[in-house]
Amino acid sequence: MNALELSGIRKRFGAVAAVDGISLEVAAGEVLALVGENGAGKSTLISVACGLYRADAGAVRAFGRELPPGDPRAAIDAGIGAVHQHFMLIGPLTVWENVVLGREPRRWGFMNAVQARREVAEAAERAGLAVEPDARVETLGVAAQQRVEIVKQLWRGARVLILDEPTAVLSPQESGALLRTVRTLAAGGRAVLFVSHKLREVLEVADRIAVVRRGRLVQIGRRGDTDAGKVTAALIEGSAVPPAPSSGAMRRPEPGVLLAARELTCLSDRGRPALRGLSFELRRGEIVGIAGVDGNGQSELAEVLAGLRRAGGTVSLEGDAAFHRSPASARLAGVAHLPEDRQRRGLCLPLSVEENLALGHHAMPPYARGPRIDAVGRRGKARELIAAFDLRPPDPLARAGDLSGGNQQKLVAARELAGGPPPRLVVAVHPTRGLDPGATRRVHDALRTARDRGAGVLLVSFDLDELRALADRILVLFDGHAAGQATPDAGDDLLGRMMLGQEPARA
Amino acid sequence: MPDLRARLFTPARDPSWGAAAALLASFVVSFVAMAVTGRDAVAGFGHLFSGAFGGPGPLGETALKASILILTGLSVAVALIVGLFNIGAEGQLIWGALAAAMVGRLDVPGVMPLALMGAAVAGGLWGLIAGWLKVHRGVHEVISTILLNWIAIHVIQGWLVPGPLAAAASSAQVNVAGTEAIQRAAWLPRLWPGTRLDLGFPLALLIAFAVWFLLARTRRGFEWRAVGAGRDAAHAAGIPAGRRICEGMALSGALAGVGGALLILGTEHRYPGVFRTGYGFDGIAVALVGGGSAAGTAAAAVVFGALRAGATRLQLVGIHPSFAELTQGLAVLLVAAPRLFQPLLTRLRARSAPPVPP
Repeated sequence: MNALELSGIRKRFGAVAAVDGISLEVAAGEVLALVGENGAGKSTLISVACGLYRADAGAVRAFGRELPPGDPRAAIDAGIGAVHQHFMLIGPLTVWENVVLGREPRRWGFMNAVQARREVAEAAERAGLAVEPDARVETLGVAAQQRVEIVKQLWRGARVLILDEPTAVLSPQESGALLRTVRTLAAGGRAVLFVSHKLREVLEVADRIAVVRRGRLVQIGRRGDTDAGKVTAALIEGSAVPPAPSSGAMRRPEPGVLLAARELTCLSDRGRPALRGLSFELRRGEIVGIAGVDGNGQSELAEVLAGLRRAGGTVSLEGDAAFHRSPASARLAGVAHLPEDRQRRGLCLPLSVEENLALGHHAMPPYARGPRIDAVGRRGKARELIAAFDLRPPDPLARAGDLSGGNQQKLVAARELAGGPPPRLVVAVHPTRGLDPGATRRVHDALRTARDRGAGVLLVSFDLDELRALADRILVLFDGHAAGQATPDAGDDLLGRMMLGQEPARA
Repeated sequence: MPDLRARLFTPARDPSWGAAAALLASFVVSFVAMAVTGRDAVAGFGHLFSGAFGGPGPLGETALKASILILTGLSVAVALIVGLFNIGAEGQLIWGALAAAMVGRLDVPGVMPLALMGAAVAGGLWGLIAGWLKVHRGVHEVISTILLNWIAIHVIQGWLVPGPLAAAASSAQVNVAGTEAIQRAAWLPRLWPGTRLDLGFPLALLIAFAVWFLLARTRRGFEWRAVGAGRDAAHAAGIPAGRRICEGMALSGALAGVGGALLILGTEHRYPGVFRTGYGFDGIAVALVGGGSAAGTAAAAVVFGALRAGATRLQLVGIHPSFAELTQGLAVLLVAAPRLFQPLLTRLRARSAPPVPP
């Protein structure tokens, strides 16, 4: 008997079939990986499985029993638990309080805190998950919060665990630990539906791999019968993006320092030191990758360079040490910024695609003529950028907030890299997080193009494969300073140790 | 609010039928309410209509009231564009009215446009206070504009008008409470003999057009929209968001202030002793029903202006003129709460659509 069975699921939104007749089953003790591009229908499918969406057709069964459609409560009661990309945790509460929230064990009408705490600790222990039940959630890092979410589902009796892009926010070490946890849970008899873009980890963790494209299941097979090439082919068949040449290691950066940072310091939003004396240089025509575990100063560094955060020490762009005093002056100096939080910082979600493409360049041609908006010029430029970056839907008047995450990022990349005068410095923070292979390739190509035209690119990413593929050099940040530098061919091991501050800094 | 904001900023494709349907529904409900309370609803609506559109006099009244509502509606709409909910149009309006009444007394050439400008400056400064408090002190604009309304009312009507600015009691004119009368030259010229239609109505339409142009066609208007649609993204793009918010609130206040000037220069000809207009608050309803666009606001202002004008005749069938406010309130409720209808509409649409094969 299958733990989870989806049969003939269809779900339309307006004229678009998000899921177009997918049948899948996951057995107890099995890890099934679900792979697909942005907008392929993965999220819709798991929302149907959790009862968040009511399918237009088809049935969801858990352990042989059909679930009432569109009833999340029934899905939870049937043992289906999902860990979403955005954690549903309450910061000021402790770990155990978050886990039991809404289903607190009671005694005489009062919450039985002792029992609750003990049960949470036991659930974590059994799954081999390191969580401190009494810690306040807001003090925990992303990886620990994710473990809390998993413990929450387990404590609530989940026998089918759905993980939506669980490694997108994790460092390599943390990802490794999560994959081991997933195997442990499966060995303990749970069914796991593992949604991911990253083929490497999928091939490592899954018993079977299902590929969805445009709402249909295009390939499903056992891990032993498939490989990265076959899965990639199934994923992007039809989108036909040729593999990009790996030019990273071959190129020599032009002489001439573009950006020089000396003893840079700044505070985080919470007023703690985030950068503590960071010094580095970036040359023209060079991509420097910034690696590091989240919270070691990379977000703040990007904000300083974009003019969004005050800093001590000096940083100069070709001799101009005041370029970062405001977002406007940074932009004027030729800094392009692909921000970490693209929805909040990168886009005005209620505005249209063309208006978002103009944002920041809106005072210059072809977007404006004198004090007036140049509606014709703006529309023309928008169409050009939409075509160049393959924005979908290709509609300049679509609301930016209605685009998928991948297309929103393509929109930001199009504006920052090609919307105005060629940038001198590109600051890209997790530019491909959550993007499908096709969109990732486009963003990577755009960054390489900017580099080849002589811009310096600072690329912050948690994905070491991405850094290796793009960067000419990798700089590791630890605790607000440069923990070391490596060539793109450095192993996970060395980078990982530097990221944890265990490797002494090297020139 | 999310639906409203979506409609405020989305390029207009299907802009008005929702608001039109809500208006129609609110009239139907009002009709039913009139009927079930034992009034002659048909006659009532007949009077309502004739009071608003039945001949030159009523048309003039409608235009007069619509012109003020256009300005206060635009005031609220412009604030919404930069992301602020301005409840303070009433306070800005009476400051504008007072400024118009003061400038209008000066015996100088071009006193009428001067009085209008003075009103815009006074209302704009009052609006700017709320914008400044929001940007630099984090004071929520709903709180500050409500409080600023009370300050304006008490300072002007409790102190300035009955006190230092009161007309001298010994003057030859009939003794009315309020300030001295303005110059004849400051009066808005009447455009249609026998009616109270004055220059205010075309002026309000012209200002509505100018606001539309500013918001839709200029860089500055785009920056206001961007700040309202995403302050952080606008800031990161190099737009001085705080300054744009202050500008938007100043323009918002200036529009309401000009609305106050139209009342003084068009009909009152002095700042009267008792002056509770309610136009500032009705401006909120106008902007919401108008969907925040300049054209929609002007259209909604005409509808509500007609309602205000026609409602005076409802007394003929024994209905209190405040009945119009019921209709207006219903319209706002129906527009601001589209979620109430959304499920119903989708179900109706699904029923009329051909069945989907299983």
